[in-house]
Amino acid sequence: MKPAPTLSSAFLQPPGQTLPAALLALRQQRGTALADLPLPTRKTENWKYSSKYLKLTDEIAATLPVSGTPAAAAPGYCAVLRNGVLVSDASNLPAVAGIRVRRFSELSDDEAATLAQRLDGTLDRQAVQLAGLNSARFEDGLLITLEPEAVLDQPLFIIHETGAESSGSAFPRIYVDAARHSKATIVEEYTSSGTAVAMTNTVTEFTLGDGASITSVRLAMEEQNVQHLGATGVRLLDNARFESHCVGFGGPLRRHDLQVRLEGPGAECKLNGVVVTQGKQHYDNHTTIEHIAPHCNSEETYRNIAAGESHAVFNGRIHIHQDAQKSNADMNNKNLLLNNGAEIDTKPELEIYADDVKCAHGATIGQLDETSLFYLVSRGIGRRDANVLLTMAFINELVDQIPVEAVKETAQARLSDFFDQTFQEA
Amino acid sequence: MLSIKNLHASVEGKEILKGINLEIKAGEVHAIMGPNGSGKSTLSQVLAGNEAFEVTEGEVTLNGDNLLELETEERAREGIFLAFQYPVEIPGVSNLQFLRTAVNAMRKHKGEPEMNAAEFMKLAREVSKQVDLDPAFLKRGVNEGFSGGEKKRNEIMQALLLQPKLAILDETDSGLDIDALKVVSDGVNALRSADRAILMVTHYQRLLNHIVPDHVHVLAGGKIIKSGGRELALELEERGYGWLGIKDEVAAQ
Repeated sequence: MKPAPTLSSAFLQPPGQTLPAALLALRQQRGTALADLPLPTRKTENWKYSSKYLKLTDEIAATLPVSGTPAAAAPGYCAVLRNGVLVSDASNLPAVAGIRVRRFSELSDDEAATLAQRLDGTLDRQAVQLAGLNSARFEDGLLITLEPEAVLDQPLFIIHETGAESSGSAFPRIYVDAARHSKATIVEEYTSSGTAVAMTNTVTEFTLGDGASITSVRLAMEEQNVQHLGATGVRLLDNARFESHCVGFGGPLRRHDLQVRLEGPGAECKLNGVVVTQGKQHYDNHTTIEHIAPHCNSEETYRNIAAGESHAVFNGRIHIHQDAQKSNADMNNKNLLLNNGAEIDTKPELEIYADDVKCAHGATIGQLDETSLFYLVSRGIGRRDANVLLTMAFINELVDQIPVEAVKETAQARLSDFFDQTFQEA
Repeated sequence: MLSIKNLHASVEGKEILKGINLEIKAGEVHAIMGPNGSGKSTLSQVLAGNEAFEVTEGEVTLNGDNLLELETEERAREGIFLAFQYPVEIPGVSNLQFLRTAVNAMRKHKGEPEMNAAEFMKLAREVSKQVDLDPAFLKRGVNEGFSGGEKKRNEIMQALLLQPKLAILDETDSGLDIDALKVVSDGVNALRSADRAILMVTHYQRLLNHIVPDHVHVLAGGKIIKSGGRELALELEERGYGWLGIKDEVAAQ
């Protein structure tokens, strides 16, 4: 038998050396660990449905250069990252007491050493090995610290632009350290420019101290020449609250692992997700919620819509540890198939070791309802508009919950364009 | 206006309509009565263009044009409106968005400019008052969580907004208490005009106390077996369907 292909050494070339020593050392260590990493195949459980979309060719192994002017801008506070590096001129960082947004490269040696110890701490590295390539390659990163009680008065937009004017990959890295009772809303928008074959390989981590509250909004909307391999890790201490809204548009490969660890009693998370795919696009959401402490709540609602010959995957794992009594977990995944050629794979995974818990899960796959369609067209509404209305209806409930008006509008406009294409008259 | 000749229709291979003949002129109100299973709802659905029903024979014309060749949405744009017996709940689509999309589809068809959100909101508020629906319903999902009476009023509201040439009311009185029946009837009476026809399909006579028909037809076994004026409905109420030689299910209720 032929040995399974491994990650090409081209991906493990040493990146730039502009970081403090502790971070350089961490990166090197992670790189060494990835050498000879077997690439996932359809026999790799957590890549079963998606391995065929992954194209880690040497062509995208190079780090994309930082040069070039980002196209993106955002209202209010924003940090614009082009190919993973902050573009100060294009950014408007918050000047708020107790809140700091800094590049990894500007940290003192001590600060960098502390950060190096904490990076990857929210993630199960075994489960996100490939997204973890980021830890071996990040050129720089953004450390966002919120001191105790600090409140960010407006959302901070992080605009990730993958500049694919040439082939290669961007490795944006974000670490948010929210101390006790701090509060912030952080929006991450993934965009791209250029038409060369490229990849966004991104990791964002959040640690929430006692009573901290973070709302995260994540829009994945790179163009079709860009693969997206991303992970988000979240660690919550006592009574902390994490709310996440992810909206994803399909691409050649789209993978997002979201891992949440409820480590302190009373912690809670709410995870919403919307994915739309068309043509031959792909999107794979893998979420994991670790109920480690007792009295924690989790609520998860994901919706996928797949048209054409596209392929959407949802894998939702809830792991309730032995000590996590009085856990309350609710997971719901609904899917809409718009064409016979489309595929959706959904898998709820519940592992429960505590005996006094409430845990509910549901997954459905369906098609547009003929009766509803007839009702709409019987009022003179064209079939195409009726299809768009019904398809939007499937996700409106989640889109409406996006707590930042400007992002909600961006998402709605993008979704509307998406469905216009999907239902183009034959 | 509407001419139905020898109409046969089946669902899942079973023939339900077995040769319907009916002429409706502009300005007229017709009532079709009959026991359960006689084909009343099938007739409504076939006229509106529900593809679950297959027309196997006969013809239907609207102002001389072949109705059966038109898609459901084209029929609606030509002026056919069906008030559903069981209006569909569509969570996630707001009533306002639904109604505005429908009204604008009609306006576009007629070559009129589309209404913007503000203009439409004003119109919708006025019409919702006419059927005694709280304008707050406009923001809710289409029929979502509406009571039976609210759904029926929403249907009539749609008819008032869309101003059809032929309004078909399928069991519009079912599930209504006496107050709601009055509101719905007032709405339907407001639709009456010299250039519009109304076809009411009903199980009971009581609606006809509020909306007085010009013609009453009895449908049984997929055929119209008797036609008459208003007095036929009263006679049916008094004597049931038995004297017409059909199984009397209505009188028993």
